[in-house]
Order: sequence, then C-alpha cells, then structure tokens
Amino acid sequence: MSERGRILFHLDMNSFFASVEQAHDPSLKGKPVAVAGNPKERKGIIITCSYEARAYGVYTTMPVWEAKRKCPSLLFVTPTFERYRIASQAMFAILREYSDLVEPVSIDEGYVDVTSVVNGADAIDLAKTIQSRILRELDLPCSIGIAPNKFLAKMASGMKKPMGITVLRKRDVAHVLWPLDVEKMHGVGEKTANKLREHSIHTIGDLGRMTEKQASEVLGQHGEKLWRRAHGIDSRPVDPESVYERKSVGNSKTLSFDETSKPALLQHIEQLSGKVASRLKEKGYVGYGVHVQIRYHDWQNRSKSRTFKEPIYRQSDIEKHAKKLFLELWNLEPVRLVGVTVQQLKEPGEITEQLTFDSYQQVAKEEPVRNLVEELQKKYGKSSIQKGIRIRSKGSSSSFSKDFLNDHNKEE
Amino acid sequence: MKFEVMRDRLLEALNDVMKAVSSKTTVAILTGIKIEAKKEGIYLTGSDADITIQTFIPVEEDGEQIVQLTQTGSIVLQARFFNEIVRKLPTNDVLIEVKNGYQTDVRSGKSEFHLIGQDANDYPLLPQMEEDQSFTMPAELVKSIIRETVFAVSTSESRPVLTGVNWQIRDGELMCVATDSHRLARRSTKLENAPADEYNAVIPGKSLNELNKILEDNSEPVEIVLTSQQILFKAGNVLFYSRLLEGNYPDTSRLIPSEHKTLVVVNGRALHQAIDRASLLAREERNNVVRFTTQGQNAVEISSNSPEIGKVEEQVLAEQIEGEELVISFSAKYMMDALKAIEGHDVQIQFTGVMRPFILKSVHDDAILQLILPVRTY
Repeated sequence: MSERGRILFHLDMNSFFASVEQAHDPSLKGKPVAVAGNPKERKGIIITCSYEARAYGVYTTMPVWEAKRKCPSLLFVTPTFERYRIASQAMFAILREYSDLVEPVSIDEGYVDVTSVVNGADAIDLAKTIQSRILRELDLPCSIGIAPNKFLAKMASGMKKPMGITVLRKRDVAHVLWPLDVEKMHGVGEKTANKLREHSIHTIGDLGRMTEKQASEVLGQHGEKLWRRAHGIDSRPVDPESVYERKSVGNSKTLSFDETSKPALLQHIEQLSGKVASRLKEKGYVGYGVHVQIRYHDWQNRSKSRTFKEPIYRQSDIEKHAKKLFLELWNLEPVRLVGVTVQQLKEPGEITEQLTFDSYQQVAKEEPVRNLVEELQKKYGKSSIQKGIRIRSKGSSSSFSKDFLNDHNKEE
Repeated sequence: MKFEVMRDRLLEALNDVMKAVSSKTTVAILTGIKIEAKKEGIYLTGSDADITIQTFIPVEEDGEQIVQLTQTGSIVLQARFFNEIVRKLPTNDVLIEVKNGYQTDVRSGKSEFHLIGQDANDYPLLPQMEEDQSFTMPAELVKSIIRETVFAVSTSESRPVLTGVNWQIRDGELMCVATDSHRLARRSTKLENAPADEYNAVIPGKSLNELNKILEDNSEPVEIVLTSQQILFKAGNVLFYSRLLEGNYPDTSRLIPSEHKTLVVVNGRALHQAIDRASLLAREERNNVVRFTTQGQNAVEISSNSPEIGKVEEQVLAEQIEGEELVISFSAKYMMDALKAIEGHDVQIQFTGVMRPFILKSVHDDAILQLILPVRTY
C-alpha cells in the first residue's frame, strides 16, 4: 500500500478518566475534577483531570497537595477502573463499525485505517460523525487526527483538544511540525531529548535538517526512525493483531516513603517478582529479558535490563535476576519507586528451555501429567485439556492499564 | 649471547611457543619470549601465567648442524615483533647476538634488526615439577581424548571449575569428564603404565585446546607429569605446562542413568547429517532445537520448525528400536558435537524419558559416553 494513498485516524479520548466520571455523575460537569489514587496519602498524584482543572494549572502526575493549593475547589474522585474499561470497549466498538482495521494502543487511544472506507474529501465528515457519535452515545469528548500515516495522525490528534479534528498532510510537515520542540515529537522521551539537545537539536526542524546519517550517528537506529518521522515518513501499518502481541509484563510500586534500606528494597523486589510471575502464569507467557526500574527521591529514573538464553517465568528466576540487576543499578540514594518487568515475551509453542543437570529432576516430575494431557488430547482433541500454565487463575493482581488489552481478546 | 640458527627451525619452535603468549597479560614481561642459548641448544619460552610452553632447538640433530653457538647467554624479546621479523627474514640463516646490555641484533642476508631486549632474569622460572607421578600415552591418543571431551566444557565463568576437563586416574584407568551442565562428555582409557597413586585434577579447556594444536597426530610418546598445582606434557622437544583449576569437580557419576526405556541404534554419520540439515532452519541460538521421533521399529524422524522460516522433516533408518515410542527435542549442536566425538557408524542412544538425560555411545565399546539433556518445549 503506498504511503500517499492511506488515510489514517488517530483517536485520542480527552482526559478520559475524568470525562468518564463526569459522564457518570453529571453534577461534576463544568467543574474542576481530578482522578487521584488516594488523595489522602502523601504519595498521591493526579492520574488525570478535567479541562476545567487544567485551566487552574493542574496536570497529570502533579502531587495531590500541590493540586489542592493551585485549585482549592478541585473535586477529587478515586478511579473506578471497571467504568473506564466498559467505556473504552464501547468506544472501540463504535470505531469497528466503520473499519476492520482498528488498532487499540491503550485504553483511551487507537488508530483506524479508513483508506478503503472513504475517499480523501469525505474523511473529515467521517471523523465528525465518529466524534459526534461518541459524544452523543457515550457522553465523552475526543480528538481525531487525520493523516497518511500513524506518526502524523498521532501528532495531529494532539494539536486541538478537546473535541478537535485536525488534518496533517505530508506537505504541512515543514511549517506545522518543524517549529515545535523536539520533545513534542511522538517517540522522543526525556532521555532522547537530552541527547539531542547535547547536539544542539532543539526543534523537530533541527532534526529534519540533519542528514539521515547524522541522525543515526547521534541516536543509532532510533535516530534514523525519528529522522524519517521528522520528514513525515512512517510506513507502520494499522495492525489490529498488535494488541495481542504483548511485549512485556511488569509491575511497579511507589513506596510510601523514600526507602534506603537494602533488605526492605529487596523485599519489594521479591513481592513485585511474585506479582509478575503470577501475571505471566495467568497469561501463559514466558520472557527472555528482565528489566528493573528505579525512581529516586529526586524523580531521576534509572533502569537496567538483561537478556537470557533460557525462558524466564518462575518466580525464583525473576527474583534472582531482578535482585542482581537492582543491586548493580542502585546508587544507594533514597528510592521512591521500584519496578520489575519481564520482557521479550513469547507465545507458548514457540518456547523451548534447555534443561540442565541441576533443573531437570524438578521438571521431570511433571512428566506423568504431561503424558496424560497428551493422551487425552489425542483422544478428545487439542482443546479438551491444556497444561496448567495456560489456565487462567483468579485473584492474581494485575496492572489495570496494561491488562485492559485482554478485553479485545475476549471479544473474539 | 650469540648464535646462528636455521630460520625454519626457529620459526617452527616459535610457532609452538607463541600459543602461550597473550597480548592481554597483566604481567609486562610475559608479552616477551625468553631465548636461552646453552651448550646443548636453544630454549624458547612463552607463557601467559596459566600456560607455559618451552621448546628446544638442539645444536645437532641426526648428524645435521642446526645451531652454531658462539657464546651462551639469554634475553627476552617482544614476542609479537620477534615472531613477525623471523617470519619475514630474507634467508634461511639467522644470526642473533646480544650486545651492550640488552640490545639484540637479528641479522639475515642483508637485513639487520636492532631490538631492545629485556633482562632474562626478570622472566618467571618454569614451574617446579617433581617427576615421580607420571605416565605416557601416544600423541594421537592424547589428541583424541582431548577432542572427545573438551568441546563439552562450559564457556561461562559462573562455575569456573566447569570450564575445565576433569582427569581422574584410578585402578589403572584414566577417566576424563567435561560438562557445561547441559551435556556431558566422558572418555575412559586403560593406561599401560599408570602411576601408583590416584590422581584427580581439572585442566582448563583452553590449555587442552592449545595442546591439541601443538601435538602431532602420530604415535610418538607423550610423557605426562602430574602435581597438585600443575600438569606437564612432554612431547619431543616441547614442554607444555598448564595450571590446574581450583575447586572440586562435581561427582557426575550419579547423573548417568543406569536403565533406559527406549533404545535406538542408528548410523551415527547419517544421523549427524540429517540433524545438520534440520538445523538449517533453526540456526538461531535460542531455537537451535530439533525433534526426534521414533517411527515403528526401524526409522526415526528428525524435524524442525521455525515459525517465521518454515519446517523440515527427514527420515533416518534405524538398525534397531526397542522399548517405548518417543518424541523428544534437543539442541542440534549438542547432538552433533556428541556424534562427532563418537565418530563410529553404529551409535546406540538410550532414552529414559523426554525430560531426562539420554546416553550416546558406540555399539562396540564403552570408552566414550556422551550424555545430553533434552530441551523442554511448551
């Protein structure tokens, strides 16, 4: 499919959680509303807030106490994730009425490929229809970006909020995107921006005016990708399946006070490893990489990861590697948040594990069960019985925003 | 020190000694080669502290004069430069002379190098070896023992003792074992002149690989001298010293299953080739796995499946299949290494379960035993 021929929407729900709360309780409408984890605790931060609150200078990740000072009339709501999940599903259901090519990116945003649905001129009308249906049926505002590729569509949806519809063509790139700070570019995080600034690259235009080779020298492969995007080039397809390609499973924990004790921190790592192991088990995945994150008291984020030849899924393995990584990474400064993630996930069936003289006896104990399963499958078909690793267990604690994508699985 | 020597003999001796010299050494003098001119001939020594190699060029051999000695003495020269120089000298006659302290002249034809040497007294002495514990084996046997075991040593430093091969002498038998904890290679050899005492040591895999390169494939005797810190191999004009690894080697005898549920006898070369072909689609380290399926009484199927690339199946005729039907997956590389070590045509494979180690050995003798742990698939 040629780059020019495509018409893609990026749909971004406007302050999604707060808007869902306002739709649910109309008395909150037109008022500054903030969704916060636990407003009473010191560590509480704003998860999201309504546009009315934003007018007071309240923003996502702001500590609760600071938000109260900026906006004394701010109304706090604790999050009700089930509500958001249902609203998200309803929103994606509307999108799927118009195209099969819908790719959810997170609970409140997604791409839609409408190339085969409309011709160029009608795209804006279709966007207006979708936007007004979501507002009328779900009472939720959203912004839509219309562009020939994902990157431009994503940039476009962010240009006018709330309730915006923005068209971004490739020929607009130089005068619309290039004057913007490079940090505004999708795919440029804090670290990348810092590195670019060291090379006197401050705007998207600065990046675009380099040669592709120079960009690659500064940032490697990622640099080449960003350079192409700065020129409005992005050939990624809208892939409805990508939602099933889970890339990592991780849990993190904000500590109730800045922690400096090594045994206490290692205990947090242990707990997180246990959670990650049980989520992996629930989904029947194994990974080949372990990633550890530390946020220090001064909000400095550091992380370290390692790749392994053998699959990682047992709690003891996750724990062992995560602790080692943590100790290598930690500079003894007080820690505010720790996170453990298992990466490079593989579907069952693609997975192999070389047994060792130390481990095989443990594994061999499962042999009789395995034989029985295979026998039953032979007799009654593959789906009659599966190994325990794939069976969903109830009550495992899971990270909501990461697991919502499973909803799309269930619909099949 | 002053002597003349035939360049090809000097080069041959240097080649062996260079195998011990490492550019990464932390001891500066070990980047050099020690040259000693004595009445009986020239000694060259190279070392990386773990391995030390000394070669000897006699003044006279089979009535032919190889060295013309004018003055005895010794010097240490930078190994890398000296080796390259000798390699490229224009004639077969080389004159080496130390003058004014450590300045060393190397002359050949009209070419003349002036090298700055170092004091040979600063070079470490050879390890002291009591020679009461020793035995001999033909060079070709030492080489095959090395080839049949050393490939299975661990390349990871997480358990240093596993980076070596365990040599154990007991009851007139030498038992050599290597394992990386995924597979194990064992070779037993009856010794004709075994030492009186029992002996147990772990020789670094790297040392054995270098020794294998130096030894020639012939029946010349190699004398092997054992101490608790070092092992010495004497072969012709070469002395090869290796440090031993510290730590106890794990007892591996209990890992070897004594019974089996499935027995397969197959042509080792045919199986090796089939696995080699099947692994074409499984090149990535992580997926270098093939599946082995028994088919009735006289065939096995080797197959491999890479989701992104494709799949392959091949049937190999078996001479004999006994016991339970079996589907098992294992590393193609480990299997090929093991089959290569056994070399013969009739290989016997004994399986005890899909998640348990299996044995490979020749139908004709038990000298070589290979043990492989399978790969678990989900």
